Amino acid sequence: MTLLQMKGITKRFDGVVANDGISLSVNSGEIHALMGENGAGKSTLMNILYGLLKPDAGEILVDGKAMDFASPLGAIAAGIGMVHQTFRQFPDLTVWENLVFQNEPRQGPFVSADAARDFVRRLGSRHGLEIDPDSRVRDLAVGIRQRLEILKALSREARILILDEPTAVLTPQERDGLFAAMRELASKGMALILVTHKIPEVIAITDQITVMRDGRVSGTLVTRETNEAEIIRAMVGRNVPPTVASKVTSDARPMLSVKDLSVRKGAVTVVDNVSFDVRPGEIVGIAGVSGNGQPQLISAVMGLESATGVVSLDGHDVSSFSIARRRAAGVSYVPEDRHLTGTAPAASIAENIVFGTHRNAVASNKGFLRKDAIRAQARKLIERFRVKAASEQLPIGSLSGGNMQKVVIAREVEHGSPLIIVEEPTRGVDVGAIEFIHQTLIAERDKGRAILVVSSDLTELLALSDRILVMFEGRINASLTGSDMNEDTVGRWMMGGAETR
Amino acid sequence: MIAAALDTKSRLAAILFSIVAAVVLGGLVVGLTGANPISVYLEIAKGAVLGRGLDETLARSVPLVGMALAAAIALRAGLVNLGGDGQMLIGGLAAALVALYLPVPGVARAVLALAAAICAGGLYAWLAAILQLSLGIPFLIASLLFSYIARGLTSYLVRYPLRDPSTGMPETYRVASGARLPAHILDLPVSMAMVIMAVVAVVIVVNDRSGVNGFEWRMTGLNARFAQYSGVDLSRQTQRVAFLSGALAGLVGALLILGQQYRFTDGALLAPGYTWSGLMAAVLAMASPIATIVTSVFFAALQVGGFSMERALGLPAVLTWVLQALIILCLAARPIFFRKR
Ligand SMILES: Nc1ncnc2c1ncn2[C@@H]1O[C@H](COP(=O)(O)OP(=O)(O)OP(=O)(O)O)[C@@H](O)[C@H]1O
Ligand SMILES: [Mg+2]
Repeated sequence: MTLLQMKGITKRFDGVVANDGISLSVNSGEIHALMGENGAGKSTLMNILYGLLKPDAGEILVDGKAMDFASPLGAIAAGIGMVHQTFRQFPDLTVWENLVFQNEPRQGPFVSADAARDFVRRLGSRHGLEIDPDSRVRDLAVGIRQRLEILKALSREARILILDEPTAVLTPQERDGLFAAMRELASKGMALILVTHKIPEVIAITDQITVMRDGRVSGTLVTRETNEAEIIRAMVGRNVPPTVASKVTSDARPMLSVKDLSVRKGAVTVVDNVSFDVRPGEIVGIAGVSGNGQPQLISAVMGLESATGVVSLDGHDVSSFSIARRRAAGVSYVPEDRHLTGTAPAASIAENIVFGTHRNAVASNKGFLRKDAIRAQARKLIERFRVKAASEQLPIGSLSGGNMQKVVIAREVEHGSPLIIVEEPTRGVDVGAIEFIHQTLIAERDKGRAILVVSSDLTELLALSDRILVMFEGRINASLTGSDMNEDTVGRWMMGGAETR
Repeated sequence: MIAAALDTKSRLAAILFSIVAAVVLGGLVVGLTGANPISVYLEIAKGAVLGRGLDETLARSVPLVGMALAAAIALRAGLVNLGGDGQMLIGGLAAALVALYLPVPGVARAVLALAAAICAGGLYAWLAAILQLSLGIPFLIASLLFSYIARGLTSYLVRYPLRDPSTGMPETYRVASGARLPAHILDLPVSMAMVIMAVVAVVIVVNDRSGVNGFEWRMTGLNARFAQYSGVDLSRQTQRVAFLSGALAGLVGALLILGQQYRFTDGALLAPGYTWSGLMAAVLAMASPIATIVTSVFFAALQVGGFSMERALGLPAVLTWVLQALIILCLAARPIFFRKR
């Protein structure tokens, strides 16, 4: 039974046709994949379905009835729920406060916290998505924050659930949990739309696939009857070879050396006595289930978080340096959260690219910006990194998620620092771009740069790294090389590793 | 180019829309009192630009542009400076003290008085910034509270130790004519204060558009975390921006004392409400310096026109304040009218 139909959806942004006559139909009980390269228009289509954007043309039918959503409230009322690529949560509030927001159980004029907690627990256990109602959202691991996002949609009785790249932030175990939950929801008659770049996932759990390219539908496939190659062809219009990193070992002097680094948050030790080196010409990967201290470790290495222990760059102790001085001393850094830390979304692409190096001779002269040079540099990077952007003067926030990531990577790699630290290099990035980013990082390694990669995508770490460190409960509990670098072994260490001994 | 143009275009559209909507609403208010809105607006427009009106508008623009820019440079960098009153008072007092009591020749006294006002106003705002950085008291609150301290302090000083007993008013002695700022340069209708403010305005605009510092301030206002990540020392920058914002307010105090009032009279600097008009102009301009200058000159004209309208029609000039407030309200309410999705 067709639950949702979108017909001839068209949406233009100044100069860009993001959706060009898109049609999509999803049955109840179906998991429907929406795929396509960065900037293909997936998020735009989903934002239209969710009432966040108004289409220039086209219609949306739910249960055969034409809908016209003035805002997400209309979409929610029609039974549509969305889990966004970037979470929409109040980080300073607790889980239950976030969940019942605008839907609060009351006791007289007051919000009943007990009823709300109870509601959260019941909702969680009903869908197999348990969550502690009293944790503060800012302290939660990304995987759990996403669970909260799904629960939020379910709490509004959604029948159609949109998940915009939900697995980008998950560990294999969390991902399997999510898939189980998705199947469960589908079996209850819900329609699920999964926006993703990961082909194995699509093959594993979806029933139908709609592929988009440049704002149009370039393929409608039945999952059972298709294969990886066919999907990729529909997405990019060509064949993409898988990335193979050549493993080299390096015994040069460490570029980055971390000794006995610890970070404490109140009574909890989130990073516990961590020591490791990264040498020129190697890529070291840090694996771990989210919430085991990886972001705090990187923050401490970058000087964004106060820590005990020693951080040395090229043999010099920089432990007392601010992030500015560490970066000046030769560290490039791609932060995990590009909206919060990695960019100023309202500023232009060019401004976002130059910021940080704007005091160099290329970008400014005697305290004045050389705007033409800055724009030229931005155009060069946009072209080299194949960023899909109409102009370098557009606000970077108007780019699609993957294109924004490419800009940040381009900027940091372009600094030419001897050490590059990358968190989640390809989160939300399409296959073509993943390949490109991986090759960029490998090329930088081959130029003799030292590279530290943190990723929750194990496949990515295995493809990129010369050595993998596994973090568990704030400690590095394994350093794996060679034949030990396989999904099985790394996965076991990620779960603690004790029973494998 | 596209985005920058669009950006300014939509901002301009927003400002114009707010002004038009406010004029219509203000007209309704006037209509309710039984007067004819068209003739009221005509009187305001005439009064602002015809005859002596133009001179008055220009004269009023000097402090208003100054206070508006003081608010705007802070706002641009993500700081809300509500303490313009206090910084202006402290600056004005410093200027008056130097101009009255420093035993150096006239012109040098004027120059030193200006410098003293800049330092005093700047330091006063910087202190509020230090409270934010060291004790976590928001700058917005600290700067506002410091205004009350400055008001009490200057009021006491001019009533007792510094008072000119001959006038019967709570005010200081008159600044000697050699230490005043000339009201006309080479017999042109241009005062020294206007020239100084014009130079300051140009520096601010250029710094905002092409200066490395202006760029850093603007990016900080857009995303402070990103600025920190990109190597901006946020604490130092906050102190610097607070100082400059306060220094500009202090300079306005000095320009009023040395170029117009010639003595520090209790309450005289604050009576016209430059700080608040300036803040409104900066908010209306969304902290863009050029737009801030335009909106604050517009507000100055509106106020001057209001006085002239009051003389001509007997309607209270406060109407122009109502208009100013309506403009800001319409700007804030704009999303309700323009739902661009
Ligand atoms: N608000 C906007 N203003 C201008 N252009 C926009 C805006 N939103 C999206 N676009 C443009 O529309 C196109 C489609 O973007 P969209 O975010 O839908 O892509 P996507 O398929 O979700 O990509 P990704 O996989 O990278 O998330 C892109 O070229 C993007 O730059
Ligand atoms: Mg997207």
